[in-house]
Formats: sequence, structure tokens, C-alpha cells
Amino acid sequence: MMTYSIETNVNGRPRAAEVTARDTLLDVLRDHWDVFEVKNGCEQGDCGVCTVILSGKAVNACLTLAVQANGKDVVTAKGIGSPKEPHLLQTKFVEHGAIQCGFCTPGMLTSAKVLLDQNPKANRQEIREAIAGNLCRCTGYKKIVDAIEAAAAKPES
Amino acid sequence: MEQNKFHAIGRIARRKDGIAKVTGREVYSSDVTLPHLLFARVLRSPIPHARIKSINTREAEKMGAVCITSEDTPDIKYNERQVSIPEKTYRDRVVLPDKVRHVGEGFAAVAAKTESLAEKAMRSIEVEYEKLPAIFDPYEAMRSGSPQLYDEICLGDTKLPIESNIACHREVGEGDVEHGFKEADLVVEKEFRTGRVYHAQMETKSVVCRPEPDGGISVWPTTQSIHNTRQLLGRIFSISLNKLNVHRVPIGGSFGSSIQMNTCIPICVALALKAQKPVKLVLSREEDMYDHCKYPVIIQLKYGVKKDGTITAGELKTIVDIGGHNIQAYPLLGCMAGWFVSLYRMPHLQFDGTAVYTNKAPGCAMQGYGNPQVSFAVESMIDIIAEELGMDPIALRLKNYVGLGETFWGQGPTVRSVIRSCGVEEMLLKGKDMIEWDQRVSPDKKTGRYRKGVGVARGFHTSGTGAPTPGEVIDYSTAMVKVNEDGSADFSTALMCHGGGTLEAGAKIVAEELGIPIDKVGISPADTRSTGYDVCTHATRGIYCGGASIQRAAKEAKAKLLKFASRLLDVNPEALKIQPREESDQGHIFLPGSLEKHIPVGEVAKMAQYKGWGTAIGVASHRQVNCPPCFVTNFIEVEVDTYTGEIKTTRAVAAVDCGTPINPDLAAGQLEGGLCRGIGLALLESTDYDPETGRLTCGGTFIDYKFYTPVDMPPVDKVKTFFADTYESSGPFGAKGVGEAANNATAAAVVNAIYNAIGIRFAEAPVTPERVLKALQNQPDVEK
Ligand code: FES
Ligand code: FES
Repeated sequence: MMTYSIETNVNGRPRAAEVTARDTLLDVLRDHWDVFEVKNGCEQGDCGVCTVILSGKAVNACLTLAVQANGKDVVTAKGIGSPKEPHLLQTKFVEHGAIQCGFCTPGMLTSAKVLLDQNPKANRQEIREAIAGNLCRCTGYKKIVDAIEAAAAKPES
Repeated sequence: MEQNKFHAIGRIARRKDGIAKVTGREVYSSDVTLPHLLFARVLRSPIPHARIKSINTREAEKMGAVCITSEDTPDIKYNERQVSIPEKTYRDRVVLPDKVRHVGEGFAAVAAKTESLAEKAMRSIEVEYEKLPAIFDPYEAMRSGSPQLYDEICLGDTKLPIESNIACHREVGEGDVEHGFKEADLVVEKEFRTGRVYHAQMETKSVVCRPEPDGGISVWPTTQSIHNTRQLLGRIFSISLNKLNVHRVPIGGSFGSSIQMNTCIPICVALALKAQKPVKLVLSREEDMYDHCKYPVIIQLKYGVKKDGTITAGELKTIVDIGGHNIQAYPLLGCMAGWFVSLYRMPHLQFDGTAVYTNKAPGCAMQGYGNPQVSFAVESMIDIIAEELGMDPIALRLKNYVGLGETFWGQGPTVRSVIRSCGVEEMLLKGKDMIEWDQRVSPDKKTGRYRKGVGVARGFHTSGTGAPTPGEVIDYSTAMVKVNEDGSADFSTALMCHGGGTLEAGAKIVAEELGIPIDKVGISPADTRSTGYDVCTHATRGIYCGGASIQRAAKEAKAKLLKFASRLLDVNPEALKIQPREESDQGHIFLPGSLEKHIPVGEVAKMAQYKGWGTAIGVASHRQVNCPPCFVTNFIEVEVDTYTGEIKTTRAVAAVDCGTPINPDLAAGQLEGGLCRGIGLALLESTDYDPETGRLTCGGTFIDYKFYTPVDMPPVDKVKTFFADTYESSGPFGAKGVGEAANNATAAAVVNAIYNAIGIRFAEAPVTPERVLKALQNQPDVEK
């Protein structure tokens, strides 16, 4: 089968792989590069646990072809912040109990990060819409919305 | 009260696994990777009932794949659920069968160097099926002459013939129901049904296995019980348990779906043993959807009541459609009897339950183990009775609920105990105010397209399965606590955290008992080699049962610590106390009233080490002799769109009586999550089958199996939670469970609210827009 060379930047680190035209970004992240914080929940674009930031946009890695990521930057939950220097969103997720099993968390965080980058004062409704593609079976979503709201800039009153 | 003095219990602390989870460091089974790993795929049946006549794996082997079929795997019958004693365990399956009983049942497997090669190898396998007639309806299945799924299975080690596809049957009675119904002024009777809900845990079932040089094997599975997984693997593969090590791995959700040793685990083990290489098996979403579901039930419920609302008799008959395998429906039926009997007092009662095989994916425990289903029927019926009698539904509940000082048998007829803490009344009355119950008007006063209604329902779950004498269900936990030389401590246990905060609670229990800061307690990684037996983190037993063993281990470690300190301070150990001190960020041992007699915990541990006195360590293996009910109450407001039949839940109050909430924030989170899943059970979720093909109509995808997203989960902003103020003296620091209770009352509260909105009683869940529209058409007096 014909293969293509791709090069990307994952959380600031250059990565390269030989991929087929059919390989998804999720396949390459998990199977070639051991980027396991990007989860696999359905491989069909329905659950959002594979959400990554591709050149500033939140995308489902399972619906993105690996070749589409060529030459682009990929940011995952690991790239948003580290245990030593967590991003405000990450801190708020912990403080607000927005995590239970945590399997949806990396995807939720990447969606939330893109939202707040574009709309720093997002309100609850906007938050809910921004994470509409991210399913969570554990929490009932309230604490996730609370956490993102707490990380958003306060609207001027 | 003593509970006010806690420094750790009830504190809101950052959960210990939080940072790992938000920064992508948490490693789930599906993320475990090892050198020279092979990837596995399972060949699954596309037809619902067939004998496998032949399998040809030659092509796959040519590709370099390792292949296994029924001929390569032990012919040992097992039941994946191991929490009952063997005499009550129904064994009907083997690792790879030569007969398949539902679409999606695996019967061969391959392992290869890459996933795509494994997939290709799997597809190259040639199979000859002998199609057998299949059956999808439980009533048809019981009819004589219907196709039989089994001729015989094993009950424990004894052969058990199966007739009319009846997997098991259970009857329980007390008093004389006929007499009770005769005494009644009103007898009500109704049939209720609930759907075949899919657990939809976000991580599909996964496992990684590595054969070890000593002939043993190491396993990293999705599971709620590492010890049961090990024991069962040991039995199936005849491997000595000391050579089988099962690791506890964080789990991406479970909701009961991994109480059992998942069937993918022995398949992966068999591949790894044959390949003599590590193998990883991760189910696709479709495979996972064909693997398990909640037990769907049909319930015929009958109550007799006096005019004043006193219940004179109750009878519940149920048919449970368990699908192609019996993942322990016998204890399920016992529990269903228990849920029924323990909600409301009945002098005369009768329970009759039958579990029936059909050619569908097997049912198993899902949050509540039959309890949301029974509560759906009972709590709907209580509203029906209240209306017939012209009573307030809350007053009727208060009159009849089983409460303080009364006997309940939550986990079935063999597990009875007396209720010693109860917040039922508090929750009903406080919740009533919070939802503004008094503003509620009857459905005939409502007009317009959108109609709102408010409903209430109660429920409970048991905290574990402990009883005064050990019964059918095994229930104990083991824990070890040790004090380190800097004043910190570690604890280890095979308990599992499903996300709700069980291990967090364990850390707080250790901190409280040892008098050290929560931050100074470490949760040790666990595997079956380094921990004592723990039955399983299920049945809402984590904190009440597991926590009790942790508390006992901590007490023992503390006693040793104080003995060491007493030698150093030259005082009687009983006179000493420990408390955390902020300035040194550790616990201090002191003699109350004395300024000189104090010493930091770390100092004591270090001195004990230098002097050769040993480590302050405690181990406890403990069985609780009670399983106190954690009561719940839900008040829910819905809005029905009479044009489209769509129903939204607009407000909710969820209350729980969990004794002392050890993690109040996380417990509130469990209430919210439970509410969300309960609303799904009421309005949205069911896996349906096409009787022509035996396949799921949703195709095994989340596109067509819907559950609530953040956008269509309305109570995200309008849900209030609270805790009843109770103290359970038999639990660690007054605590009971929360877990399953969180969703037990919800579905009933939703249908009661729908009734209050439009005056139509739905007895079958999910109440989909189609069902609502159809019912509205038959009810012309609901004018639009
Ligand atoms: S795995 Fe990509 S959306 Fe589910
Ligand atoms: S926390 Fe478990 S799926 Fe969201």
C-alpha cells in the first residue's frame, strides 16, 4: 500500500511517520507516537474523547486523516499544561470535581481550551455548545460546565 | 456530635488523581503498552444463533497471526461474575464456544504485530455456520417448542438441565397475600417495562496480558475486581494463583459492566499463552455494545391498600430478559425482591421472578442492579395509589416507608438487617420546599403547547452486601496502612475507584484515623500479589465496607505508633492523642494538657526504625455485618411539548442520605451523574433488536444510541443536591454508600412528573416522543 511521510508538531515536539491514506490522526497519535492521552471511544466522531487542537481548531482525531495533519501543530491535554504548571482550566477541573473516571477529560479540556482562546468570556450556554460533541457518562456535565465557567474571564458587570 | 471534630472527613480536597487526569498522565488499560506487543481481534458471530461447524484459520496463520478457536481453549464452564458462593453460581459459558447465542459473540481470535494485520487476519478466517432458529422475546422463549439456547449448564460444579429457556427462577413470600388483598379497600395492579440500556462507559473493555518466564501471566484489565479476575483465570487456565498477577488499572467508567471478569480477558490470556508474547485487546464500540447491557424487566405489580393509605399486601412478578448468557441473574432476582420489600412496609408480600434466555447480548448489573427498574414500578404505583385515595403522594410515602428500627433486606432474602440511620423524612420535606411542591397543580388545570409537571420518587441502595451471617454473596475487604519515616502514610487495598472517589475517601479515612494531613496519605498501586482479597468494588460497598477495613488497618497502625511514642515520651499510650499541625505539615502526638510531651509522627516512625522497634503498620481483613440503606429522593420538573412529544427535564432536586459524606463534592457529583443516567433510562435509552437479523437497530454506534450531551441535558444549570443529616454508627466515621443510589429514584420521578404535566401515566420506559404523541392522540381531552 502506498504510504506518505508526514511531519507534525505534537505539543511542541516534532514527530514524523509513514502513514497510509486511510490512517487517521488518532491511529498515528496512539499507535505510532504513543500519545495515549488522546483517547479512543468510538472511532466514528461521536464521542469526542479523541479531541485535539489542530492548528488552533478543536477536531476529532478519529475523523481527521493523518495526512491532513501534515505540517500542522497538534496540542493535546499534555500540551495545555503540565503537573508542575497546570493551565487554569486544568486546575479548575480538579477544584470543581469536574472529573470522575477522567476518560472524557483530555477531550473536554481541549474543546474548552479552544473555546476560551476564541471567546475568553464564554457564558454557560456557549460553554455547553462548545463541548456539545464531548460525551461524558459519569458526571451529568454540571461540574464540567462549572469548571470551564470558573476558568473563563468574568464578564464586566 | 463527634462528626464535627473531623479534620479530614467531609473536607473538600483536590482529588489525588486529579492532576494526572487533567494533564493526560493517567494510564488506562487501553493505554498500557509493552515491548513486542501483539494486537488481538476477536471473530464474532454475525448471526444470533448458530453452531460453528468448521473454522479455517490457514490464511490468517500464513499472515503470521496467532489464532485460537474453541479447540485451543480450556473446556471449563465459567460465569464471569464471581461475587456469589460457587453453589449459587450459574456457569454457562467457555472461553471460546462452538455455539454462538447472540450476534457479536466471539468464537475465535487472532493476534498479530499490528492492529491492521490482526484485523486482516481475522477477516481471512473461513467459517461454516449451521444456523439455528433464534428467539428474541422472553415470553416466546418460555413457550414449549421454542428454540432452546441451552440443554444444560452448571450450577457450581453440578449439571443443571435448562427447560423452556428459563435460566433461573426465584420466589419469596411472607404472610398470605390473598388475605392481605382481601383486607384492602383498594387493589391496584399494573404492568411496567424498562429498556435494555447500554452502560456506555466511555472506555470500551480492554486488556493487556504478558506471559511470564515462570509460566505465569501478568494482566492489566478493565475490571472492578482484580482478585476475582485472578481467581477465575487461575481456574480456567490451571495456573497457580501465585503466578498470576492482575494489576489495578484506572478504569474509564464502568457502572457495573466490569464487576464480572470481562470475556475479552480470558481470550487475550489464551492468545498470549499461545503466542508467548504480550497481547493487547481493546474492544471497538460496536463490540462493546454487543457485550453487555442493563437488565430489561417486565414487572407486574399489585398492591392492596386501606382507605387511610396503609398498605396491606404487595405482589411483584417479574420477567427479566437476560440475553444469551446468565451473568448471575439469580442474585439479581433476590435483590429485586429485596428492593421491593424494603421500600414500603407490607404485612403480606409475594415476589416471583424469572430470568429468561434470549438470543441477545447478555444483561448484567448496571448502576442499581434491578433497583431503578423496581423503583420505577413501585414509585409509579405509589403515585397511582395516592391519586386514587386522594392523598398527597408525599404523605402516602411518609406513611408507609420502611425506616428507622425496621428490618430491611436490601440484598435479597438472605441479607436482612435493622435500619439504624434514616434521612427519608428530612429529604422528602426539605426537597418538597426546594422544588416548591405546594405550587404544583393537577394536570387538568394545564393548557397550551408546553406543559410542566413536578414529580417525586424515593429509592435506596444498600451499602454493600454484608449481613449478620454470611449469605450467598461474598463481601469482605482487606487493607494495609503503614506510617512512613517522615510522618506520611501509605495505604493499599484492592478496592477500585470508578471515578466517584472511593480511594480519595480511603485516604481521608487514613488521615482522620492517624491524625495526619490528607496530603500526607499516599494511595499505593495495587495488584493481586501485594494486596489481600477484596471481593469487588460494586454494590455501593466501596466506602462502607472497603473504608471500614481501611479504618481498621489504620487503627492498628496507630496503636503501634502510639506504643512507640509512649516509649519515647515515657507516658501511657492510651493517654496520647494525634492531631495534624499546620506548621510542620504533619501529625503530632501529644499528651493533652502537657507542654513537653509531644512529638511529630515522623520522628516517632524514624526513632522506631533506628531503635529497631519496627514499622507502625496495620493490616485488616474485615467483613461488615450490615448493609445499611443509603436513601435517595428525587424531585424532578419536566416540560412536555404536546406538539412534538418531546420531554425536557427543567429542574431537579437530588438528595441522598449517605450518613457522613466523606467527599461531599464528589458525592454531589455522583448524584448529578446518577440523575443524568436515570433521566436517560426514563426518556431516551434502550438497545433494540431487529428480530429479522438479531442485530442492534442502533448498529452498535453512538450515532444511533443516544445519551445526553451537555446541550440536551437540561438540569445542568438547574439541579440542586443536598445531604440528609444522618450518622451511620456502623460505617467508617458515620458513612454509608452513595454510588448506585444516585439513579435509583430518577426514572420514576420523571414519569410521575410527566403524569403531573399531561395526566398520562407511562408505564414503559423509555418514554420517547413517539410514545408520548401516540398516547396524546388516544387522550383527546388533553387539548392543545
Ligand atoms: S473516538 Fe473520536 S469521536 Fe469518539
Ligand atoms: S468523567 Fe467519566 S466519562 Fe467523563
